[in-house]
Amino acid sequence: MQLKYYNIILLVFFVLSFSACKKSDDTNLVLKNDCIKRTLGPNVVGLNIEFAYAMALPKSAGKIVSAQVEASIAGAPSTYLENRSFYTNPSGVDVGIAVGSASVNTDNKTVVTFTKDTCAATLRYFYTVPEAARGKSVTFTFSATASNGETVSYTMGPYTCTKMDMKLDQVAVDNKACYFSVADMAFYDAATAASNPGKIDLVYLYRPITGINFNYALVSPTATDYLPGVTLPAGLTNSTKMVKTWNLNDFNLARLQYGVYIDDADFPAIDFTNAPNYALNLKAQAGTWVETADGKYRAYIYVNSVAAATSSMTVSIKRYQMK
Amino acid sequence: MKKYIITLISLFFITFAWVRCSKDLPVDSDGLLITTRAQCYVSNFELLGADFLTVRTAAAVIDTTAQTVNCTVFYGTDLKNLYPQFSLVTDAKLDPKIVGKTDFSDLTHPKQWTVISGNRKVKKTYTVYITVQPKP
Repeated sequence: MQLKYYNIILLVFFVLSFSACKKSDDTNLVLKNDCIKRTLGPNVVGLNIEFAYAMALPKSAGKIVSAQVEASIAGAPSTYLENRSFYTNPSGVDVGIAVGSASVNTDNKTVVTFTKDTCAATLRYFYTVPEAARGKSVTFTFSATASNGETVSYTMGPYTCTKMDMKLDQVAVDNKACYFSVADMAFYDAATAASNPGKIDLVYLYRPITGINFNYALVSPTATDYLPGVTLPAGLTNSTKMVKTWNLNDFNLARLQYGVYIDDADFPAIDFTNAPNYALNLKAQAGTWVETADGKYRAYIYVNSVAAATSSMTVSIKRYQMK
Repeated sequence: MKKYIITLISLFFITFAWVRCSKDLPVDSDGLLITTRAQCYVSNFELLGADFLTVRTAAAVIDTTAQTVNCTVFYGTDLKNLYPQFSLVTDAKLDPKIVGKTDFSDLTHPKQWTVISGNRKVKKTYTVYITVQPKP
């Protein structure tokens, strides 16, 4: 009986050692690649979509010669593929090692030619969303070529680019650059506002009135009750609907730690029924949804900062064309 | 031994039947328990703006005898888009229900809500008076 068990165990060991010594699969000797998208949130025109593209083959099989990305819509001129391969050091810092020459954009292709004898690299790709991609989908084909002639490719997407526009850090100054145009996403002074009154949707003012919370405000030109001490240029007649928010820290606008994004779909969803045409007592990290009087635009105005010393307010805007 | 087991099982069944047959408290049309509590009052009142921040300048004054809530709001408050929040005594409920934004802009016709006690036998209608902080 005992001998029988010994035989069985011996047989198991033979089978195991036979399996373990089997020659490794040939597929491990080929060039391989992988890709991840690093950016989150909407793909806004002018912003980057970032990818990390990894490629490798066994050292004995050769080295990497080139890497390229082909976008279905050519990126803006600032689109590039990193010529450095990154690794994360023990302190958690990404360290880049140059492995090739700077990338070259030709039409919708971005190519890095390797100059270092390397068999593994991870390159980052920054696609700057061009105007041509607004409201369209874009697809990316990453590919790498090895010295042994092998080529691999990896397709990412499609990714929808947003229709909305974005403008950052517009500074409003009380009684100076205080007339805001949603169409232009900019503040103008009285002279410029007077020359194009139809464009002016809001007036910025700062009033530190004792006993009430007025402070920093955005008010429609028609809401004269809330424009104390303001002499409007002639012809300002727009009444802009507003819905105040608090703590809606859009990542693109606020550039803070919050992973919150306002996307195209959010603008039509806002209910402006019975909305007022003024927003008083705005603070940093507050904001307001606005709809222009003609209903052409909806926007989200985020307050980045306020400064009592200069009577100013810095805002960033996302704007969506409704019609 | 067998006798003990039969006794235990019988005891278990009797206990189970007794528990199952105890009368549950009834529920009302909203699926809420109707209890024995007869208290009927508002214990706290909050008023939020469209940005879900308070628009009160101070705590609302609740008069449970006169059945009124007096609340002063900031100058410039958009009275058409406010979210009232009532805190009620235990087991009480509010009628009509608050399901979203409430328009308080008609100050001459203050809004009213009825508090219904836990036993659903006492009803008290509270009137909410809003005052806008005057401009100095």
